[in-house]
Amino acid sequence: MPGTTIVEDIELIIEDIGGGGGKNPPPGGDDGDEGGKRYRPQLPSSRRYATAILIAIISIVMFFMAMASAYIYLRANSNRWVPLHLPWIIWVNTALLLLSSGVMELARRRLALADVAQFRKLWSVATTLGILFLIGQLAAWRQFILAGFYVSTNQASSFFYIFTGLHGLHLLGGICALLYVSFRKFEKAKVSRSVAAEVASYYWHFMDGLWIFLLALLYLGK
Amino acid sequence: MVIYDSSGPAAPEAPAPGFLSRTTFNTGHKVIGLRYLWLALGSVLLGMLLSLLMRIHLVWPGVQIPFLSGFGGAPERYAALTMLHGSLMVFLVLTTAPQAGLGNYFLPLQIGAREMAFPAMNLFSFWATVASLAGMTTAFFVRPDAGITLWTASVALFCLAALLTALNFTVTTLDLRAKGMALPRMPLTVWAWFINAILSTLIFSILLAACVFLLSDRLLSSQFFSPLAFLSQQPASLAQSTLLSLWQRLFWFFAQAEVYVAMLPCFGIVSHLLSTFSRKPVWAERASVLALCGVGLFGFFVWGQHMFSSGLNPWSPLVFSLLASSLGLPACVLLLSWFGTLWHAKIQLNTAMLFALGFVSLFIAGGVSGLFLARNDLAAANVSGDFVTGHFHLVMGVAATFAILAALFFWFPKMFARRLNEPLGKLHFWLTFAGVYCVFMPMHWLGLMAHSRVTGAVLAVTPLGASFDSSFSASLRTFITVATMLTVAAQVLFLFNFIWTLWRGQKSEDRNPWSATTLEWSVVSPPPIDNFGARDPVVYRGAYEFSAQGSPVDFAAQNVASASSHPPLPTRLSASAGAKEN
Repeated sequence: MPGTTIVEDIELIIEDIGGGGGKNPPPGGDDGDEGGKRYRPQLPSSRRYATAILIAIISIVMFFMAMASAYIYLRANSNRWVPLHLPWIIWVNTALLLLSSGVMELARRRLALADVAQFRKLWSVATTLGILFLIGQLAAWRQFILAGFYVSTNQASSFFYIFTGLHGLHLLGGICALLYVSFRKFEKAKVSRSVAAEVASYYWHFMDGLWIFLLALLYLGK
Repeated sequence: MVIYDSSGPAAPEAPAPGFLSRTTFNTGHKVIGLRYLWLALGSVLLGMLLSLLMRIHLVWPGVQIPFLSGFGGAPERYAALTMLHGSLMVFLVLTTAPQAGLGNYFLPLQIGAREMAFPAMNLFSFWATVASLAGMTTAFFVRPDAGITLWTASVALFCLAALLTALNFTVTTLDLRAKGMALPRMPLTVWAWFINAILSTLIFSILLAACVFLLSDRLLSSQFFSPLAFLSQQPASLAQSTLLSLWQRLFWFFAQAEVYVAMLPCFGIVSHLLSTFSRKPVWAERASVLALCGVGLFGFFVWGQHMFSSGLNPWSPLVFSLLASSLGLPACVLLLSWFGTLWHAKIQLNTAMLFALGFVSLFIAGGVSGLFLARNDLAAANVSGDFVTGHFHLVMGVAATFAILAALFFWFPKMFARRLNEPLGKLHFWLTFAGVYCVFMPMHWLGLMAHSRVTGAVLAVTPLGASFDSSFSASLRTFITVATMLTVAAQVLFLFNFIWTLWRGQKSEDRNPWSATTLEWSVVSPPPIDNFGARDPVVYRGAYEFSAQGSPVDFAAQNVASASSHPPLPTRLSASAGAKEN
């Protein structure tokens, strides 16, 4: 079950923390049974990628929380807050991004069944939807500019541009990860395809959730 | 006997790396750690010279220093001096040296890993840090408007580097530990680096966000900190205070916890050294680990407290109150653990131990003055900047520097296979120890005197008293400046000791000159590229098994299976014997 391995690994880490690392290795083992294999370089354990992406996600959450708190603070303290009319294309974009997440999960199901060809197809659909989302966001900026709202117009529009811009930047990193999973020859890579797909999908779903959160902030804050 | 040696017959034949990959793009954690230390050494010297310049201008405003008078003369240049001094010391010395420098070098060694989890990312962090140092220093020389933008961008870059380093540290500690290195067996140094990495992950994101806001205001003319949004309807002063407080909020979210980021690795180092040179286990080791976690947790909760308490001016003394009171508990536990370790111990008073003890002394002195600052009424009564300056320099700056120096003296034989000169080191310690107290204690008095002048004005002091007061404080300021000059001059001793030892110092081919227990002492000095050679290390015990009374060796190394049947012989003789065994 390639789709679930890392989660189990992380549960193992957590057990390790709780249980104090468990047993001692057998005494004298270093002289006896391991004598045969002389040099055993540390294999790149796949769980390090999953751990890394989880920590990166925590860090990115803090980054956007700082921004969100500034938004809430200024919104509450300013009595010249100009309401923001979100461009309609934003809602289309949101649907595209949600769809992309869904397709990605379908793709990972195919991969779990070792159906690589189908996986590739669905994965590229998910990637395309992600790219479409980014293009849609640019179109939203254009609509916004045509409506006369620039970065410097007022605080609400500044927040609109910085939220969408920074989210887009993070999403661009996600798209690079998706393209990596698509085009990497995994026979030679340090990671397996399923691990790479899984780690990329964590990030992608997180980007999805983050966008919903930012959209809710912008929508409710008007 | 377990000896890790790279000279095993099946050691991998790595292709000889090219010049660039050996130098600029070397991803080895030890190489990067050492470079961070050199970077911090350069920054601390620069920062120290800046502080000297500030003191001189403060006491003798008219003095003309060749080359430098052009930079430090005007009043706004004085503010720039303070800013550069602060950013160099806080970011590139206190944040970089104990965590990125010593941590990069010794964390993989101490947990039995061969490399950091993401070596290329580590390399990127290093060069980003170098670039941010260059940016901050350049910002000082360009005109103020562009300078601020450049400085903010440099700080943002530093945040990014710190975040990636923290990510690397966390993943390495979680996933790359050797067989048998359960979390409770980790040395306290590793615990401190680990907790610090988690805390850094949380807080550097916030500073990064604040810097992005500021940069976008300056470059894209967005409206985050702009008073334009508050025009007309509110008095200008109110708009000013709201916007200022937004920046201060974002900044103090970070800056309160930054104190802990600088101190946490130092706590770990001091606990480790006190135990090793007292030849006793860390007293209440579990409690110490919990205290370290507590420091990290409180660092974060102070932030949370701050976030949810609305309408509170971030400069409010309440914040200091929270800071001090929340630090109080874990700090007391750590202090108790240190004294418990020292109690009835056969203390080996070498230079590393002296610096560790100096840290404890400075930490207590700074902590006591912190109690004054924690009181709302006293802080509100305008205990002036001098008191605060004295306090945080003593507890954060100087104490942390002492811990870094202690670590350098301790690990120098491992890093360079030579020992720093002890008599010179001790002389340097005593001069510095006396020097910093002479510099920063009078600052506390100056702050208290400013306080008494404020209340004294109400009581209408006699002209005689006032003139005595001002002449006394002027002479006190001169005294501080002279003491600063002497203390800075004393650092030449260390610099000489350091450089001279690198090339000419007493060789130390012993793997384990201090009879220490942790894994880095089980390999040759300096450690081979892959750290542990032919075999992965295996860990059998906790990190502080000292004081087996009566036996020829009074400690059990972590990689020794059974203390009685396998006496750890850390000498050169056994090293060569072990190599033959292999």
